[in-house]
Amino acid sequence: MSNVISASHLTLSYDNGSKEIIKDANFNIKKGEFVFITGPSGSGKSTLLKALYGHLRPKEGNLIVGGHDLSSISQSKLQELRTHLGIIFQDYKLVNEWTVSKSVVLPLMIAGYSVDVQNTQAQRLLKHVKLSEHGEKFPLELSGGEQQRVGVARALAKNPVVILADEPTGNLDDYSSNVIWDLMENACQQLETTVLVVTHKIPTIFSLPYRHFIIESKGVYEVH
Amino acid sequence: MKFIKNHIMFILPLMAILLGIEFYLVFDRTTDSYEKGLKEGYSMLVVSKKPAVLSDFKKLNPHISTLEKIKRQNIVAEIAKGVNKGTQEEILAALPYFYNVSLDSYVDTSGLEKIKNDLENDENIKKVETFGNAYSSAYKLFSFIKFTLKLFISFMGIVSLFLIIKQMEIWKYAHKERMQVMEIFGAPLMLRSGVLFKVAIVDAFVATLLTSAFFLYIKFQWAAHSGIDIMMQKQEELFRLSDIGILFGSALLIVVIAVYSVVFSSKGVQE
Repeated sequence: MSNVISASHLTLSYDNGSKEIIKDANFNIKKGEFVFITGPSGSGKSTLLKALYGHLRPKEGNLIVGGHDLSSISQSKLQELRTHLGIIFQDYKLVNEWTVSKSVVLPLMIAGYSVDVQNTQAQRLLKHVKLSEHGEKFPLELSGGEQQRVGVARALAKNPVVILADEPTGNLDDYSSNVIWDLMENACQQLETTVLVVTHKIPTIFSLPYRHFIIESKGVYEVH
Repeated sequence: MKFIKNHIMFILPLMAILLGIEFYLVFDRTTDSYEKGLKEGYSMLVVSKKPAVLSDFKKLNPHISTLEKIKRQNIVAEIAKGVNKGTQEEILAALPYFYNVSLDSYVDTSGLEKIKNDLENDENIKKVETFGNAYSSAYKLFSFIKFTLKLFISFMGIVSLFLIIKQMEIWKYAHKERMQVMEIFGAPLMLRSGVLFKVAIVDAFVATLLTSAFFLYIKFQWAAHSGIDIMMQKQEELFRLSDIGILFGSALLIVVIAVYSVVFSSKGVQE
């Protein structure tokens, strides 16, 4: 199977290159794989994730996501690439003045789908994450777990090539965390979506085969 | 309530700028005709040894636009009352030629002095009377009023710009989260800033409408019934239909600059 994500001699840094976070990393991730990236706090997990959705440009080396080299990608190509990614954040990043229905169809709205299609998809997605009754509510009327389910539904809206998740259960209780892991396992299994999760701890209930990378001393190493 | 407050906070400074622009336009138009009146009402007296025509004077200074000969017979008739005809003819023969000369523009006092010197340098011209003092007073008063009003309009514009910048900060705070989330999911700039543009264009429209209504009231109600001659005479100059276009264009320009400033300063993901 072809690589969906490929890093070669990847170096990431902040402060105009003076503060290196990741150095000379090499890894490949194939379509449909479920990948955990772990490491101590401040090791660069979230930095790597930001680089994967193009918020941070590589200082050296190449980072290819969905066929686009992020070290030299144009702004318009980056926008296009992002429409094929599903991104989940620890703090959900929902727009407080938007209803739940509107939030989940954001990727469809950006892609220019009609309002009818958006409405149909909103119902399907909310049913999928078991929030059918909450479509007209606003994020602040929901619990943390429910908000994250909205985040997952939004990430799944356009059948993304890759789902990138940054500590998706970091703020949730065990029950809500398990629901989120189930949803992501399903996406990987049923839609063959590549899922890459940055987390400080791999969940014990996880049932799918997965790959595990650890970030230590600026390096990215696979744990076998 | 918050929604209305947010709109008013942008509409008011925008209106202040539009009022400044419109005041400037009105002032420019009315002073232009006043300036024209001053120019048309002004003439200098030139005394020449020989008869002259307009082109003779134009050669000496291009600002000279018209020439009016003063009838010497009338002068003689006035100064030689009761004198016999023979003596009157002798006086007429000895009398130089008098001309009222007007200018093509309202020049300042140094310009007036230059015209006088240019004329007096000609050997045929005996004397030039510019009536400089009266001219200078009117011109200085006119310039002072013009300068004061421009200063006031500029000051009003600067204060309003600061208020708009302040409102842009509020916009930035209010729309940053939404624009950043949309950016993460690949929304192009126009889509991200769409809501902001809609709000701003509506505000620009409302501000233009209110400013136009204010000037239309001045034109058709206040000026028409003010009893002030100059206002009633210049009523047409107070507001023209084309001014609505100028005001809306200016408001849109300010709005586009304001929105893009907010959009570009909201790029990137909140840490």
